[in-house]
Amino acid sequence: MSSSHLIAVFDDETGLVKAVEEIRGKDLQIEEVFTPYPIHEVIHAMGNKSKLQIFAYFYGLFGAVAVLAFLYYTSVIDWPINYGGKPFNSFPSFIIITIVLTIFIVTILSLATFSVRAKLWPGKQHKTYDKRATDDKFVIVVSKDDTDPGELGTIQGIMKANGAVEIREEEA
Amino acid sequence: MYNRELRGPLIIGEKSYHQISTDILAPTETKPGKWWFAMMTIATLASIWGIYSIYITVTKGIGTWGVNNTVGWGWAIINFVWWIGIGHAGTAFSIFLLILRQKWRTSINRAAEAMTVFAVGCAALFPALHMGRIWLFYFIFPYPNTRGPLWVNFNSPLFWDFIAISAYLLISFSFWYLGMLPDFATIRDRTTSKLRKALYGFFSMGWVGSSRQWLRFESLAFILGGIAAVLVVSVHSIVSTDFAVSVEPGWHTTLFPPYFVVGAIFSGFAMVMTLMIIIRKLYNLGDYVTDGHLDAIARILTFISLIMGTAYLTEVFMAWYSGSEYEIFTFFRNRITGEYALQFWGMIICNALIPQLFWFKKIRSSLLMMFIISLFINLGMWFERFNIVITSLSKDYLPSAWATYTPTLVEVGTYVGTIGIFLAGVLMFFRYIPMIAVSEVKTVRDIGKRKYD
Repeated sequence: MSSSHLIAVFDDETGLVKAVEEIRGKDLQIEEVFTPYPIHEVIHAMGNKSKLQIFAYFYGLFGAVAVLAFLYYTSVIDWPINYGGKPFNSFPSFIIITIVLTIFIVTILSLATFSVRAKLWPGKQHKTYDKRATDDKFVIVVSKDDTDPGELGTIQGIMKANGAVEIREEEA
Repeated sequence: MYNRELRGPLIIGEKSYHQISTDILAPTETKPGKWWFAMMTIATLASIWGIYSIYITVTKGIGTWGVNNTVGWGWAIINFVWWIGIGHAGTAFSIFLLILRQKWRTSINRAAEAMTVFAVGCAALFPALHMGRIWLFYFIFPYPNTRGPLWVNFNSPLFWDFIAISAYLLISFSFWYLGMLPDFATIRDRTTSKLRKALYGFFSMGWVGSSRQWLRFESLAFILGGIAAVLVVSVHSIVSTDFAVSVEPGWHTTLFPPYFVVGAIFSGFAMVMTLMIIIRKLYNLGDYVTDGHLDAIARILTFISLIMGTAYLTEVFMAWYSGSEYEIFTFFRNRITGEYALQFWGMIICNALIPQLFWFKKIRSSLLMMFIISLFINLGMWFERFNIVITSLSKDYLPSAWATYTPTLVEVGTYVGTIGIFLAGVLMFFRYIPMIAVSEVKTVRDIGKRKYD
């Protein structure tokens, strides 16, 4: 299946941000924007949201409950041992382990979620539209298949007006 | 809101983004100078001595060490705490400064985090070795087993240590690696060598810098940052409870958790300063690791040195104020004077007094003085750990049990070995991984240069 794209390359951040905000302001679709560092205005204008932090919160909740349950089971139910007269259900010492193990569990699960959601794992390859996007250029990619020719014209106009140094079309 | 004129620009000179990439990636793209190979040889020789010492320890046993019934913890535990302390700075630097939105962290965080990973790796070696029967290491895992099931002692700081250090190693490595993804992608896209493209491509995990990837990247960075910040404080507090929950005079004090954590950040920042001076001088990255950066680190070290001085005074005061004959003996007859007075006074001079030189602008501007003082701080912190571990154990409650401690060559060799491993790790890091966070530094390029409209 072939797809064709309109690719615009910018030299500086300000032009890029204005172009993206104008295009999105007209409710036109941008497939993706590639930048060498994160730009919050762009991320916001693209309208994507990540639920990663909500997931991390629930991983933490789950982790804390699981660890406390495990500690209670081993120390109170399964094999209670009298350590210097301390109570079997010794919450002050359990909380230390809970804090650290919860952090451990949140880390592992968040890393896994991030890997799946951002589609990044060792050896994965993504299509690069312009190699310079990881160096010093800012790239907007618009899908020609999903946009009317009229809208494409408007988008091109906005890009040119905001200082795109290169606009090209690509068939994949 | 942030007054930048005080600190000056974070990157000196008019640099394009491409120039920034080229400057910082140059060490990964060119053969290093002779000094690198010389240091690597030293590191390798030290590591070989270390590996041999570890071999002797594991095959012949802890009898090859100088520890005895009275002083049951010697160099191994001193070095364990020393390395963990150093390892705390990477996370403190990178993450505390991230949460406090201090943009000047961007030139330093990558090297600091690398230092953390190698330091914690070296530290983890010592509790493993001091077990003796290291082939039974799995006993420390609380897994359902056929021995009862016999669980571990969840009330013991020794178990808390194991969990805390494993968690710390995982999270510091993950945070360090996450930051490297965009930089590996930059190398992958720039290089003409097929091998480097394949290798860095593999490790960049397909990073392309799309807005969706950046969105999740920042999200994850704040998640990991938020919880790792908790770890910085809790890991070394847990290590301090190894001592604090005992009843030894000089150990059993509630001062220890904050004292250890602050001391850890102190030695770690000093090690970061050592590394950043090396990066600035030997790699000519003075435009990125500016005088402002080093000045800021020096000021923090001065402040922390004052805190350490206060802590030492507090310990001595409380020993006197308590009226406990054991505490008074431990501090006034066993530490301030006595057999190990050298280590005590070495600690005071190197930690509380010498860093006060940083009050003088002249000293703060001299790279050589800063380098020397940072080494003295790490020496002082080593003396502090020696002071805590050995003096309290050597002469505690029962005079008939008093004994002294001398390290054997095996223990010294293990320590030198870890220094070699750390050095080798850092040298490899310099050669193959961008030592400054390229993508992050690009975001602060224009700070301190022109007014925003």
